[in-house]
Amino acid sequence: MSGSYDRALTVFSPDGHLFQVEYASEAVRRGTCAVGVRGKDVVVLGVEKKSVLQLQDPRTVRKVAMLDDHICLAFAGLTADGRVLIDKARIECQSHRLTVEDPVTVEYITRHIATIQQKYTQSGGVRPFGVATLIVGFDPHTTEPKLLQTEPGGIYSEWKANAIGRSSKTVREFLEKNHKDDLSRDDAIKLTVKSLLEVVQTGAKNIEISVMESYGKVTSLELSQIEGIVQEIEREKEAEAERKRSRLAAAAAGQAAMSQRVDTPAQ
Amino acid sequence: METAFALTGKGYVLLAADTTAVHSIIKVKTDVDKIKELSPCLLMAYSGEPGDTVQFAEYIERNIRLYHIRNNFPLRPPSAASWIRRSLADSLRSRKPYSVNLLLGGYDTSTYMPHLYWMDYFGTLAEVPFAAHGYGSYFTLSLLDKYHDPEATVEEGIATLKRCIDEVSKRLVVSPARFKVKIVDKDGVREIEL
Amino acid sequence: MSIMQHNGGSVIAMVGKDCVAIASDLRLGVQSLSITSDFEKIFPVTDRLFVGLPGLATDVTTLREQFRYRVNMYTIKEEREIEPQTFAQLVSSTLYERRFGPYFIEPVMAGMQKTPAGGYAPFIAATDLIGCLNFAKDFVVAGTASEKLFGVAEGLWEPDLEAEDLFETISQTLLNALDRDAFSGWGAVVHVITKDKVITRKLKGRMD
Repeated sequence: MSGSYDRALTVFSPDGHLFQVEYASEAVRRGTCAVGVRGKDVVVLGVEKKSVLQLQDPRTVRKVAMLDDHICLAFAGLTADGRVLIDKARIECQSHRLTVEDPVTVEYITRHIATIQQKYTQSGGVRPFGVATLIVGFDPHTTEPKLLQTEPGGIYSEWKANAIGRSSKTVREFLEKNHKDDLSRDDAIKLTVKSLLEVVQTGAKNIEISVMESYGKVTSLELSQIEGIVQEIEREKEAEAERKRSRLAAAAAGQAAMSQRVDTPAQ
Repeated sequence: METAFALTGKGYVLLAADTTAVHSIIKVKTDVDKIKELSPCLLMAYSGEPGDTVQFAEYIERNIRLYHIRNNFPLRPPSAASWIRRSLADSLRSRKPYSVNLLLGGYDTSTYMPHLYWMDYFGTLAEVPFAAHGYGSYFTLSLLDKYHDPEATVEEGIATLKRCIDEVSKRLVVSPARFKVKIVDKDGVREIEL
Repeated sequence: MSIMQHNGGSVIAMVGKDCVAIASDLRLGVQSLSITSDFEKIFPVTDRLFVGLPGLATDVTTLREQFRYRVNMYTIKEEREIEPQTFAQLVSSTLYERRFGPYFIEPVMAGMQKTPAGGYAPFIAATDLIGCLNFAKDFVVAGTASEKLFGVAEGLWEPDLEAEDLFETISQTLLNALDRDAFSGWGAVVHVITKDKVITRKLKGRMD
């Protein structure tokens, strides 16, 4: 037992841990998976969707939110905490425009969110947000896509591709193996879906994909489109497996032939 | 002198506002846009105390936008008008009230109806077929009484609007040089060159 | 020019036999300039109660919203409709809350009040802008034409008028008073309330 260091207050344990923050990270790890992939001039967000109940309205269960015209956010963890954080971020986006006329940069709003998350690890009477976020977008007057991440403790960092939530380690390792710089739109989407398929067994119907192509241009892929991509990936996997099988067969045949040839002179 | 007016027609609202920025007796600018686009189908012409006008209009603009982002659909014209009215009414009884007069023109995409609201800095709100603010209102309201037709086409509406502008240019002592005209209908908002 | 005369407008309420009537003009102006001729100043509170709010137009809207909110809260908490007598007290206390920065409105109320015997009795009342209640047995007036309304009503009103006669009396009183007031007019609206129905009619007056 950790004594009384893991109760309501976020105070240090003797060995320097903040248990409440670590529990918040655990809540994130139990949340549905979200993936972000940056391409050459595109950035893609993919999330694992919980299956909608038969009588539920799927439009009310969304894990990707617009913060402003040019910024999108996906989160993993407690949905209710995520909603509060999103609302705070949206207000800041408009407030920033009102005070300095310019839209926020992706880093600015990420830092703002991370700062809020940090505050909830150091104030009395509150608990940390059980939420990690992936924030994507384009800075005003630029063409370079951005992908940033925040964590419950208030850490934020920039990435080429990353995953948060359930099995994020597996997905991140997959991305590390397969991500290349300057991916095209289609390749970025495909990589996102592919990486999500590592952890989403149920396929296309539990995947949601949002694509941002330039400042203010966001599209959400239709189920049929995602199904198409999943099928394409399956086909490729099939072909790959086929190749492997035939290679294996060829090798076996070669081996057999070799042993025969070895055998023959002996007779 | 500062003047804004507006009229409704068949499926649209036209708004016109002068484009001059005045400082004491000097025209400082002649290309000011005093009609803000609040949401895809909502326009707001503002006039009044310099400084207050832009500050208040931008505050409204950002809040209407925030509503749109939060809810994935924009505030409808009657609701927007109510909210803006309340902002002005609250401001009236604050330490430093905004002195801003507004014309709010919108197209309701749920009922397919154009709406025009007249609002002053007290927070007085009235839905009207045509409206005006400033010294120009003394000339244009009587003209609009005679020529306004709620079933008029866009061309006819613009013709009526031109009458108003011509009258203001002719009779008002310090008449504005140019007017900016915007229209809102089912296709959204756009500027019209006269 | 007083702020009470800024937008113009007048309201009158009268008692009849088992009925009450409340009527107002429809003008909204800014000093001498008329903005619109369909600005309603009388609002339903319940099926048997109306409130008229002549005065500064911004406060007409604000108070209407305020009263709607408070009456809704009352209805939910008490699980019954508010009675005219109670509503009058609510109006009074709402206005007195702003004793030193008042709403520039002089409300007029008219409705049918439930009696202990189970019937309905006519009820009218008016307050000044800080909520001093005035319960009358004959008629109450308010707004920019109030002096004229007093004069005409004094001459035309008589006790125990039937609903249709009361309609005629209040309409003639209002229209003739409006004609002598530059800040009121441009058409009128009349509500006659009996225990089981409300008759609402719009009147054209001198539209100038």
